[in-house]
Amino acid sequence: MWRALCKYCIPLATATSLAFAQGPALHAPSTVSAGSPFTVSAGGQGKAAFYLLGPAHVSKRTIELGQDISIRGEEVTASGAYQAVACDSNGCTSAIVQVLPSWPARLSFLLHPSRVPVSAPKAVNATALVFDRFRNTVIAPAKVDFRLSLAGEKVTTRTVQTVRGVASFQMDARPKQGALEVVASLGETAEPRVIQQVASEACRLRMTAVPGGGTVKLQTDPIRDCAGNPLPDGTIVSFTKTDNAGRSTVDTPIKKERASAQFGVSGPARISVACGVVSGNEISIGGRQ
Amino acid sequence: MTARRMLVALLALLSLDSHFGRADVQAAAALPRVVLSAESIAPRQIEQRTGEAVTHDYAQAWKDLAECLNANRTDLLGDYFAGEAKRRVTQRVTEQKQAGLRTHYVDRGHQVKAVFYSFDGGEMQLEDQVQLETQVFDAEKMIYSTTATHKYLVLMTPGSDRWYVRFLESVADDAF
Repeated sequence: MWRALCKYCIPLATATSLAFAQGPALHAPSTVSAGSPFTVSAGGQGKAAFYLLGPAHVSKRTIELGQDISIRGEEVTASGAYQAVACDSNGCTSAIVQVLPSWPARLSFLLHPSRVPVSAPKAVNATALVFDRFRNTVIAPAKVDFRLSLAGEKVTTRTVQTVRGVASFQMDARPKQGALEVVASLGETAEPRVIQQVASEACRLRMTAVPGGGTVKLQTDPIRDCAGNPLPDGTIVSFTKTDNAGRSTVDTPIKKERASAQFGVSGPARISVACGVVSGNEISIGGRQ
Repeated sequence: MTARRMLVALLALLSLDSHFGRADVQAAAALPRVVLSAESIAPRQIEQRTGEAVTHDYAQAWKDLAECLNANRTDLLGDYFAGEAKRRVTQRVTEQKQAGLRTHYVDRGHQVKAVFYSFDGGEMQLEDQVQLETQVFDAEKMIYSTTATHKYLVLMTPGSDRWYVRFLESVADDAF
């Protein structure tokens, strides 16, 4: 029994500060869990000053030697090394108490980017940090589940084991546009994040022209990416005309999957269409198409 | 940023070792000695300039930390600490000031291993072994003194022009 008790104690002889070895004898547990109360005993008689020095907490009190010193859980919420120091008229002694993180209770979940083109390779990055309820990093391995759902698709789950409190993965964007929800969970803690998957670049961009009365009306076919996702309204489409009057460009937003424009023309003209980095067909007016 | 601090930062940058990819980077003598090894970092590799910036900013953070704990001034923390790390040190300084204590660090140097760098470059985790001489004073009386190796788990995140220490947690000797 005594051996078992001493396993968790640091006697005076092992206290770190030998320069102050003449102070009162201190016995403290070598490790405690964050937020857990414990007691420190200081041998001797009379009064002494007792200090608790931690990463985020410092306290000083007067103690009666020979009596247990109660340390409240609230005093040791931050994990790390705490120095318990007792000083009397003969000097000071100290003992180290290592406060360990408690069990996993909180997640910080970072999902990047907020918008991503569909099917973009390795474009979705997820990082989850695991903490106890006092925001100490839980170093012991833990399994974080990532649940991925996109409307109309089967829900999938990926489990990643933490290393030093971090779980991360990277994946391709899904081929279908919409809100991709990723929920990181650990026990009863869940943190949802959403990435908006948007259509990728236009695919097979094509326009038609209706000339008449010195003008030409242009309209694209429905503009979609190669997976069939319509590009969102507001995406800019550029129509460029080159004729005897020179070169002019009209930038116009997509409305209901199509973009349209109108040019005045003088003589033969060439008109091209582009959206982002994608070029569409070219039309010749006053000549052959 | 004061002229003095700008000079210190400049000196630190000028003295950075250029062999980061193979070996290490050292911050200037004006700052605590930080040797950063990034050979086992994952999943993303660290760029040389990033390594230099992290080394410098981490050294600067420790310099600020030591000054702050010694002078009981939380205003020295704003430049390189953020989030939970800043909150904890601020609380420590506030409470030790209330108790009439101060902490003096003599920083003997850091062996830092970068172990995690997120895919998107938004977080970097470090393991730090620091040789630290620590003295705690109650008014003029030294109540605690030790020289020991301490281990810290660190999370840094990039800001607009620097890396911030967001978590600085002392861990047990067998943590890494």
